[in-house]
Amino acid sequence: MGLLLFDVVLCALLLTLAGAAMLSRQLVHAVTLFIAFGVMMALAWARLQAPDLALAEAAIGAGLTGALCFTALARYAGDAGYPKPKLWLPLVFVAAVSALLLYSVFQIPAQPTTELSERVAEHLAVSGVSHPVTAVLLNFRAWDTLLELLVLLLALLGARQVPSQLPLHAGWSLSVSWSRLLSPMLLLLSAYLLWRGAAAPGGAFQAGALLASGLVILRLNQQLAWLSWQNFAVRTLVLAGLIAFVMAGLASLLLPGQLVWLSWPVALAGGIILLVETFATLAIALTLALLVVGEPEQEPADA
Amino acid sequence: MWPAVLLVTLPLAAALLMLLWPRRARVLHFAVAVGLLPLAVSFLLQVTVSGEQQWFLGNWGPLLAIRWQADGLTTLLLLVSVTLHLLVSAYVGSIQRRNPLPAAFWPLSNLLLASLQALWLSRDLFNLYVCLELLGMVAVALVTLSGDKALRPALDYLLYSLFASLCYLLGVALIYAGYGVLDIPMLAGQLEANWLNAVALTLMTLGLMLKAACWPLHLWLPAAHASAPAPVSALLSALVVKGPLFILYLLWTTLAPAAFLPAAAYLLASAALGAMLFGGIAAIRTPYSKSLVAYSTVAQLGYATLALAFILRFNLPEFVAAMWLFVLSHALAKAACFLAIGELQHTLGARQVEQLKGASQTMPLAMFAFAVAGGSLIGLPPSGGFLAKWALLLGLWQSQQFFWLLALVVATLLSAAYVFRVVVLAFDRAAPTAPDFSPQRLPQYLALLPALLVWVMAVFSLPLLTLLKQEL
Repeated sequence: MGLLLFDVVLCALLLTLAGAAMLSRQLVHAVTLFIAFGVMMALAWARLQAPDLALAEAAIGAGLTGALCFTALARYAGDAGYPKPKLWLPLVFVAAVSALLLYSVFQIPAQPTTELSERVAEHLAVSGVSHPVTAVLLNFRAWDTLLELLVLLLALLGARQVPSQLPLHAGWSLSVSWSRLLSPMLLLLSAYLLWRGAAAPGGAFQAGALLASGLVILRLNQQLAWLSWQNFAVRTLVLAGLIAFVMAGLASLLLPGQLVWLSWPVALAGGIILLVETFATLAIALTLALLVVGEPEQEPADA
Repeated sequence: MWPAVLLVTLPLAAALLMLLWPRRARVLHFAVAVGLLPLAVSFLLQVTVSGEQQWFLGNWGPLLAIRWQADGLTTLLLLVSVTLHLLVSAYVGSIQRRNPLPAAFWPLSNLLLASLQALWLSRDLFNLYVCLELLGMVAVALVTLSGDKALRPALDYLLYSLFASLCYLLGVALIYAGYGVLDIPMLAGQLEANWLNAVALTLMTLGLMLKAACWPLHLWLPAAHASAPAPVSALLSALVVKGPLFILYLLWTTLAPAAFLPAAAYLLASAALGAMLFGGIAAIRTPYSKSLVAYSTVAQLGYATLALAFILRFNLPEFVAAMWLFVLSHALAKAACFLAIGELQHTLGARQVEQLKGASQTMPLAMFAFAVAGGSLIGLPPSGGFLAKWALLLGLWQSQQFFWLLALVVATLLSAAYVFRVVVLAFDRAAPTAPDFSPQRLPQYLALLPALLVWVMAVFSLPLLTLLKQEL
């Protein structure tokens, strides 16, 4: 009963926060409400017994997206023109689509007709890791994950095309010391998440997002002067995840065996996955951090 | 496995290296682009000789893994992408001294190629979503290369593209909820005609139509393609909009239950009719030459959509041949058109169609390239466009669709009108627009090359049709 009440309140809060974020007149309010929505969404995922998603939502949805929105507001503080949204048409559209989807959801057969989860459980022993989500992401469907890393990189490359200066304030002494205190803990926590990812919820995306939040906090307090795309080491780390992934793929073709893209022998799979995940964590962390605080400089045209 | 893997990972790895060492980007780019061409040709020959091949990535079973499949159509699309990639980058290299693109062009165009190749090979609903997402992101980043004026269209493109991806993803989620399978060949023939699948397929189709700029969901295309740098517009118009069309074809020819086919055929056919008529009319009316070519893309995609609609209704080999011949010939012809118009625009310093006056005298080569490619867009024999239109006419005649025959004739007249609108102006030599500088030869020849290729296509029609497994 208590849990049912919790769920009902959670759903009501989600809808209210989403509506309020969309209807609020000021962008700052909208972003604040959106962050609160992200926190509630993480709770909702946890209630749906998807801890991996809950972690990712808390770190990315509530944490970094909020920071991203606020820095975007700071970058474009000049043009605050925010047209009053026209409500009726979108509301009718959303209502119609929601009704359609709700009706469809009730049509979903209760018993899944597939043996996919059994198949995953069956092959878990030879995947190199013991957490099914990690096995699917980094082994069974590693190609998807590689391409997702590329999507993230492209988001950064696309954002770099739109130059705008982030006004940086000199660090406020309390926040500077707080950031110094907080960042080692974030580093430790993200390393833990990464390491646990092999056996329990966690993994590269969650760890990377946490690490990124540490980087963002430090950078906003003027601590990391080197954090810029122009820095070769930073570039290498941003690309490290993809490079490690592609190398692991080539290794799978060159190792004696079946000659199939992204297939590793059982003995090596665990090690390779950990290696790829470590570099992916670094890459995700730096990419996200650069998206939030990076200062794109107009690069000279190719001579 | 090697050729397929290399066709995807070579451009990907090259892009990563280019981002690390931007100064070496151009050399690396051309080394890879030239190397990929023989690879794609040999892969095509290999598949022609030994039949279609497929792999389960990671060597897991059919349910767990992502499936790659290389049949005649896929290898042909791989080859066309590689060819156009090489041509367009050669064009960019040749105008480098005059109006250089930002250095970000090189890695981005490689990533575009990699994501396209991944899309052509994939036969997995979710993996196709990731490929679509990638393709959309690269395309938007490429549009922004022309600077501040392109930001607005690029942002619109991004938002439309994200909305379309989400629609597609929602459809995939519904199918996965019902069947727990993402592999397209495994799902083939499994889907029943129930409400859930109807909603799923509608969502996926709408998302894909939005991405493929099918009328009336094409609103983002003209602005985005017209504001991008000319070589980028060539890539976008020639290749990027064909990706979602390919997925649409896979969905409706292998997945969809037979009971849905008539409704989908009507939907697609009416979209096609709108595209052919309104796209053509918009191309005739627009004052800007690049918008003209962009609207012509909307109109030309209408032919391919029409062929797809009739594949669903009659399942004649003529229609399948027509659809893919349209896609291939349009890819080559449109690349030529955009490169030629880009060259004309830049040398004459004019964005308006009106100012192409006398271009046949001042820049005969570029104008010739435009006219030759335009001939294929109209469907003049013996070009690739003619071949496609002939196959479509043959199919329509056999299935006695006289209304659509009439529509096709009207659409052809419209496309003739917008091509001749430019050509007639170009021959008006009374007061030609003077070029700002003496025209460069090499880029004009490079614009001419794909236009000539599309006419050569007609010569190789028989092998092409065998490859598409459609005997007429």
